[in-house]
Amino acid sequence: MGMEQVWLLPAIPAALFALLALFNRAMPRGGDGLAILGMLAVVVLALFVTLDFQSSFVDGKFAPGAEHVYAFEWARIGDSLLIEFSTYVDGITVLMLAVVSIVTLMVMLYSVGYMDGEPRYGWYFAVLSGFAAAMLMLVTSGNLLLLYLSWEAVGLASYLLIGFYWERQSAAEAAKKAFITTRIGDVGLLIGIILLWRGAGSFDIQEIIEVAHGGGFDNLYLTVSMLFLFAGAAGKSAQFPLHVWLPDAMEGPTPVSALIHAATMVVAGVYLVARMMPVFDEVLIARDVVLYIGLTTAAMGATMGLVTSDIKRVLAYSTVSQLGFMFVALGVGSVTAAMFHLFTHAFFKSLLFLGSGSVIHGTGAQMVEELGGLWRKLPATTLFFIVGSVALAGIVPLAGFWSKDEILVALQGGAPMPLFVILAATSLLTAIYTTRLVLLTFFGEPKDRHAYDHAHESPPPMLLPMLILAGLSVVAGFVAFEGVGKVLGFAGGVGNVVFTQGHKGHVFEFHPDVAIGATALGLAGIVIGFVYWWGRAERAERARSWAPELHDLLVQRYYMDHLYQVTIDKVILGLATVVARFDRLVINESGVDGTAQGIGFTGFRLKFLQTGRIPSYALAMALGVAVLAIVAFGRT
Amino acid sequence: MTTSEGYLLLALPLIPLGSAILLMLIPSGERNAIKGVTGLASLAMFIISVYVFFAFDYRGDQFQGVIDWPWLQNAGFLGKDGIQLKVGLDGIAAPMVLLTGIVILSGTWVSWKIENRLKDFFVLLFVLVAGVYGTFVALDLFFWFLLYETAVLPMYLLIAVWGSGRREYGAMKLMMMLVAASILIFVAIFGIFTEAGLGTFDMPALFDAEYGRNFQLVMFPLVAIGCGTLAGIFPFHPWSPDGHAAAPTAVSMLHAGVLMKLGAFGIIRLGFQMLPEGAEFWAPALLTLGIIGALYGAVGALRQTDFKLMTGFSSVSHMGYVFVGLGTLNLIGMSGAVLQMFAHGVMTALFFLLIGALYDQSHDREFNHYSGMARRMPIWAIFFVIAGLASFGLPGLSGFIAELHIFIGAFRAYPLVGALAVLTAAITATYLLRMFAQTFFGEPSPRWSSVGEISWTERAGATVLAISIFALGLWPSPWIDRVAAGLEAGIPEVLL
Repeated sequence: MGMEQVWLLPAIPAALFALLALFNRAMPRGGDGLAILGMLAVVVLALFVTLDFQSSFVDGKFAPGAEHVYAFEWARIGDSLLIEFSTYVDGITVLMLAVVSIVTLMVMLYSVGYMDGEPRYGWYFAVLSGFAAAMLMLVTSGNLLLLYLSWEAVGLASYLLIGFYWERQSAAEAAKKAFITTRIGDVGLLIGIILLWRGAGSFDIQEIIEVAHGGGFDNLYLTVSMLFLFAGAAGKSAQFPLHVWLPDAMEGPTPVSALIHAATMVVAGVYLVARMMPVFDEVLIARDVVLYIGLTTAAMGATMGLVTSDIKRVLAYSTVSQLGFMFVALGVGSVTAAMFHLFTHAFFKSLLFLGSGSVIHGTGAQMVEELGGLWRKLPATTLFFIVGSVALAGIVPLAGFWSKDEILVALQGGAPMPLFVILAATSLLTAIYTTRLVLLTFFGEPKDRHAYDHAHESPPPMLLPMLILAGLSVVAGFVAFEGVGKVLGFAGGVGNVVFTQGHKGHVFEFHPDVAIGATALGLAGIVIGFVYWWGRAERAERARSWAPELHDLLVQRYYMDHLYQVTIDKVILGLATVVARFDRLVINESGVDGTAQGIGFTGFRLKFLQTGRIPSYALAMALGVAVLAIVAFGRT
Repeated sequence: MTTSEGYLLLALPLIPLGSAILLMLIPSGERNAIKGVTGLASLAMFIISVYVFFAFDYRGDQFQGVIDWPWLQNAGFLGKDGIQLKVGLDGIAAPMVLLTGIVILSGTWVSWKIENRLKDFFVLLFVLVAGVYGTFVALDLFFWFLLYETAVLPMYLLIAVWGSGRREYGAMKLMMMLVAASILIFVAIFGIFTEAGLGTFDMPALFDAEYGRNFQLVMFPLVAIGCGTLAGIFPFHPWSPDGHAAAPTAVSMLHAGVLMKLGAFGIIRLGFQMLPEGAEFWAPALLTLGIIGALYGAVGALRQTDFKLMTGFSSVSHMGYVFVGLGTLNLIGMSGAVLQMFAHGVMTALFFLLIGALYDQSHDREFNHYSGMARRMPIWAIFFVIAGLASFGLPGLSGFIAELHIFIGAFRAYPLVGALAVLTAAITATYLLRMFAQTFFGEPSPRWSSVGEISWTERAGATVLAISIFALGLWPSPWIDRVAAGLEAGIPEVLL
């Protein structure tokens, strides 16, 4: 078992998906045990793949060749078009395999408790397995078309799971919105993929990179292609202006939010840009676009997180913002920093989501106005949630600190100073909204007595995965250290794991100045949070009244959703009305029915020619003969 | 495929024709006998269709299983070969034959519940199918056109007698437009016959014959409009929404699923294979009408609230892709066009089957009147979602592989058209997901508490179609190999 057999990882959950989707009703407990066992197998196999991958590590480089495996030819038209299934394993893949398999397993375990007694329980586990299969295929795919295939498949799984409670109209609408918004991005992705194929003559990622390095593309052409590609990444990873679907996606069950909308699917865009980074390096304008979009999203997400009441939506905005951080790192060309942050973020953000799920499960409420003081009732959840929050706020030595630090360092070295300042300010905001969320949810006086009185701690199947993820949130950052990396088999730590062949490696360095600054910012954010929201939160009320317009702008999500709604209702549906009316009135009633009426009218007139009177016929005949005679004799 | 297997090709039109005659002898009251005969006949057609599809060797000759008998020769204007009864299969027709077998099998099953004149319905339906099969396997232009018309004409009675809503209007409009279009084809066919000057209707001979450039430039539009009308090309499509809306379930399935493909097939056979210079000249126009139709149908569908009208507009949009593919004049795009003919056929047949299954119970096709139907009819909803996902090109289902080839072909020829084609797929997703959210999801409406799950025959029919959708989506090479081989051998060099 090694890198050649990496196709097994998606194959196992795919088979389970088919099995569970068809037969979950006939299985004990809807087949959840089978799904979990399958995922456990995937975790073990992912470990084998990782070990095999390490063993190819010689002299600071991975032996090339073994990572690229052609499975089979899917479709071919002569020499002009070849579509094949192929897998590719490198550092990024290994990292993604770890994230996807571990978080999926944790979420499945958690769901046993959280989804207990729900209708369509078996279907839920079937779709989770299907999602895992598609996501694993996405990160092991060696060519862009297979990647697109799994890209759409994870989108479908996301649609089905956001709409899991489809009896709720809001869930049905959210699922639709998520699918259509990401689909708009996917239009760009598919166009980008076909444009790259057109230029390179292949869908194979490594071949495209080679052609790009060899100067086989026109620069403008490549820039346009990569921007289209990035549109797909921005849609999937909820980047401005396609971020609007992610907060609404919180309509899905909370474990789904943890898995798909925090740790795995939404980072697919980050993964794609990281995977294609050698090509982005050729077209710096496209890379700058990634940088600025990422920065905008990071700042927007964090500010919206400040004013939101729904505990899950706060986390969703936080995810939007943190994904923006990753794109900032990619925008300055630092794959390592982006992937490192992706790695740590997956653990602490899924932990936070599972914690919020525990709160919802225990109280039945999810608005901070209805919560408060829960630390007495849900002590374990509170502890785990705080661990996740501190990691998110970027306090040393938790996971988030190390990776966020890397991004700041990368930005400091690779972009103008104002950008660094904006991102640092966003870090501060992150700490503030995180503190606000923790204080309003777990401390202070209970705001809804009824919810508080019925609150209860979650059962062990839910707490255990949270415990594991909390542990990872504490230690995941240490893989950056060379020593830890060596113990794990990665000489040089994460920096040397996450790099592509021929791409610049990166060794983790500790920058005391940036680290101290970042920690100070995090602590300052926490202090500000305490000042405003500790106790009866009068200061927060006052702060709101200082700038009501600003507050309104944030609550209204910068009017982006509103803008889209107006565009859809007025422009797109308006155009559709015009087309539908045009079709009925012009083409149908004038063109088709009009012709028919014209013919009918002509016939009505012509019938008067048939008078039935012999003299008229005789006259017509005589005229006819005369005309024929003139024609016939006139020619000679 | 051996020559003796050519008799199977001949059997394809003869089985439905023979069954239609047999049905006429059965008393109308014997419903079980009618079901038995039609069930067996459709099963036989299905099995033969699947068999000949796979028996066709894409590495072998262009036409396989060719058999012929002289019919009329050395008489009047006819020369040595004159008119022959000649059949054979090539890579372009092979998936069309398979498609017909799939659709007639499921179409037969869901028609068994018709109360009114079941026997007469099947007689007409089977005559229609005989015409369809005949057109796909015929290698004599005289019979080709005869069978083409045989496939079109029963449609009038099938809609006018067994239809619903504005059925007389729909039937009359459909008939008028298609007959008017047939006149153009008729002119083109006799023009081709005369211009070739061979005194034969033998199609392989006519493919190889020389035609003057000006003749081709004049004749191609006749073929494109004549056959294109049946294929729903913009702006000759208005019969499609009304005709589909009025037609009974199985007729909609066959019409949108198979008959529209007959039109596109005619454009390939007469237009591209016989008039290559005309095709080369007019291809940009064909492609333009195609992409306009694709966008126009999709945007128009956004505003429809009637299941069948929406599917009608959707068909115009999807058939627009076929013309885009044909107009690219490269092997990838044209392969995509033929694949799309198959993909759209099974997908739209499934749509109409499911819409009919609902309508038979509720007699209401406004989808705004429904909500939460996934609770009342979960199996129905799942099939519907499968058809919908195939329709907007989700990878792993039939639509994706076809559309991908068209997109790639279009990007090769005209990148802007390619980009618009990809955009159309997103619009398709929008109108379908809007309909899903409205109809399937939300709180189940008490108004439809009497509406239950679809029947076993409908499930069986839907399963056959859904399996076909998955088959092409997951394992496309049997289709692609045959189509590409057929096009490579059949389309003259100047075009590819």
